[in-house]
Amino acid sequence: MQPIQLLAPDGSFAEDEVYAPYIRALGDDVLREMYRSMATARRLDNEATSLQRQGQLELWVPCLGQEAGQTGVITALREDDMVFPTYREHAMALHRGITPEELLRQFRAAGHSGWDPLEHSFNVYSVVLGAQTLHAAGWAMGLQRDQAAGRAEDELVVACLGDGASSQGDVHESMVFASSYGLPMLYFIQNNHWAISVPVATQSKHPLALRAHGYGFEGVRVDGNDVLASFAVAAHHAPQVREGNPQIIEAVTYRMGAHTTADDPTKYRTSEEVESWKAKDPISRYATWLEAEGHADSGWFSEVDAEAKDLAADLRRAAMSMEGLELERVFDTVYAEPHRQIETEKAWLKDFEAGFAEQTGETEGERR
Amino acid sequence: MVGTFNLPDVGEGLTEAEVISWKVTVGDVVEVNDVVVEIETAKSLVELPVPFAGEVRELLAEEGETLEVGSPLIRIAEAGSEDGPEAGSDQKSDSQEKKPAERKQADSGSSGSGSPESGSSDSGGDKALVGSGPKADAAKRRPRTRPTTLDLVDVPGDAQRRPARRDAESQGRGVVDVLARTTPPVRALARRLGVALGELAAAAPGRISREDVERFARDRGGDVRAGGRRAAGPDEHGFTAGRLLREGPREEEVEVRGVRKHTAINVTRSAQEVPHVSVFRETDITRTMELRAVLREDSRYEGLSVSPLLFVAKAIIWAARRNPQVNATWHDETYSLKNYVNLGIAAATPRGLVVPVIEDAQAYDTRGLAAAITALTKRARDGKTSPAEMQGGTVSITNLGPLGLDGGTPILPPGQAAIVAVGAVRRKPWVVDDQIVPRDVMTVGGSFDHRLIDGEHAGRFVADVARVLEQPGLLLD
Repeated sequence: MQPIQLLAPDGSFAEDEVYAPYIRALGDDVLREMYRSMATARRLDNEATSLQRQGQLELWVPCLGQEAGQTGVITALREDDMVFPTYREHAMALHRGITPEELLRQFRAAGHSGWDPLEHSFNVYSVVLGAQTLHAAGWAMGLQRDQAAGRAEDELVVACLGDGASSQGDVHESMVFASSYGLPMLYFIQNNHWAISVPVATQSKHPLALRAHGYGFEGVRVDGNDVLASFAVAAHHAPQVREGNPQIIEAVTYRMGAHTTADDPTKYRTSEEVESWKAKDPISRYATWLEAEGHADSGWFSEVDAEAKDLAADLRRAAMSMEGLELERVFDTVYAEPHRQIETEKAWLKDFEAGFAEQTGETEGERR
Repeated sequence: MVGTFNLPDVGEGLTEAEVISWKVTVGDVVEVNDVVVEIETAKSLVELPVPFAGEVRELLAEEGETLEVGSPLIRIAEAGSEDGPEAGSDQKSDSQEKKPAERKQADSGSSGSGSPESGSSDSGGDKALVGSGPKADAAKRRPRTRPTTLDLVDVPGDAQRRPARRDAESQGRGVVDVLARTTPPVRALARRLGVALGELAAAAPGRISREDVERFARDRGGDVRAGGRRAAGPDEHGFTAGRLLREGPREEEVEVRGVRKHTAINVTRSAQEVPHVSVFRETDITRTMELRAVLREDSRYEGLSVSPLLFVAKAIIWAARRNPQVNATWHDETYSLKNYVNLGIAAATPRGLVVPVIEDAQAYDTRGLAAAITALTKRARDGKTSPAEMQGGTVSITNLGPLGLDGGTPILPPGQAAIVAVGAVRRKPWVVDDQIVPRDVMTVGGSFDHRLIDGEHAGRFVADVARVLEQPGLLLD
């Protein structure tokens, strides 16, 4: 099952009866915006990784190499289509107007999340693998009921997941619900080839898109490093999804970086493999095409680079000034109103934390 | 201005790292995010970018040295404005806001360097979120000075929010059952017994156990009927809270002793050690019953119990003579064949199951055996069987007839290879010479030690016992 591709790694465009027309219909503004999203996401990734290495973030989850699939799909959707992301959809989040600072808040442990999901139609990051696919199905069932009650909008729901999460029971359940109820669900699987250290070949003997057939809906495979194909595929299939036909879009891509900053990918994959994917970089091929087709010139690219650099500096400043999350907030946000059990546990923890001996030179000496 | 970059926790909860190689030397000028050093943690090899620009003043660790997270790594002096204006100005504004915190950090963090940097401060590096912060502490916690207890906290408006069901549980006593610490099954039990968990929690803090609830219900005693929920009658599901099978506690723990304990030990041992095999055969014992009627009329048998059991005993002795294997004890390396039958007879007594033994049963004539069985069963029923009388059995009988049963798979008494089970004698339609006629029919079977006795041996033995019961005349030979 060859992934659909419009833009080859060398930046050449292949005509396609079904999908190419979606691209030909796009103006410079949209085409440029997609580049800006990708470039910004990449700069954000680099800066955030550095911040983590400098002890300013607890953790960072890079989306390095996956910018095209994310950008293409989110651009093709409507602003009111609700997205249920994993923890790696930075390019999608930025496209929805979530600021880099808001994105970092959770990773600095300065908040449970940094944005209002309803404001951006973009749910908070789910760290529990695959759980968001069930939340998404639930949301879609809610939409269905709203529509039955006379609401006119026909937004769809995007459930993001990776090749690793495809093995989760939650994902299966979500797809069964989507199929059984005819939910307007778009499963956006970014197959980045590695579930931390487990290769995708171990998780699935077939293309993940084919799993859709088991649930009785359609699956399509796209080159996830090709922003144009990702856009076109999402644009082409979204109307069917809106009508209650769930779909899988499997974006075949590659996680160029570590799974998270706590991971060392050199321990489980070869540098040859990484190099082979470097040659398929999504941003450079798109830049080549934009310039060759006359959609942007080198001046514009430098402008974007400068913006991205500013963004990085702003981000660094903003991240440093973020206040840490007060431990009490962990308890205070469980229930809307005070709750006796939670209050009791909070008091217990306070007491526990206060119950340590003062740090003196003597105990310091004993430890060594 | 001089800044110190402390070793951060680059993984999740790492406590130390080894300095592998420096990428800069003293005097180098660096930009923000320039890689200055490569470190190796328990998880990975990591390149560390510096959080600020300037000139490298001092490398605070040797290559190959292992540092604790939070230890100072490198000192960088802010270069002239021409070297890194952007980063420098960022940090200035930041440092002004953060001064007090950083001073504290510098005091504790870089005591070894002796430079005047305690007065200096710069941004990010010093107040690294993870490296010198909470994670480093968590990895080596200070000792605790006192235990911590979980005390219930009052929350305004709690009572109003309490769900209705829980209200019923606590019977409006103002104690929140949500916080009675217990498990769902115990909560269910409390509901059935009509025990207010809140009341119980108030009386005895700590986790509420099943026993606590039962004791509470028991102690309340008559309350349950008189004033308790039981008097309230069934609810809409026809469920009457507190109603049990009979008067008494919901469950009681009974101490195991005496015969019960002895039986338990024996059957457990036997069931675990001995591979049992059981066979059965339905048998027409009409002729035996006729013979029994004759003997019952005989004055020599007056006062003696002439039951089918007597003939089964005789038949077993007869069959054991022809099937020596069943009358034996297995010893793993060897087995001992007995040239006598010590016949155990299982008897249900008020004290429990006992298996008194008739020693050398083969030596008795029929009347003598009847007398021995009569005496033995009487002593057993009176509870007078002595432990000595239960020793040394070689083959046993269990009579299921009095229980109205037809068959069963008994457990072998330890040391025996065969136990014969006989069922009730029933009048049944039976085919004799192609005619269906009513006959006295009994199932003969038993369990055998399969290590010693195959199905074939067991079958032949049971067939022999059955043959004698069918044709008691065989006993004459």
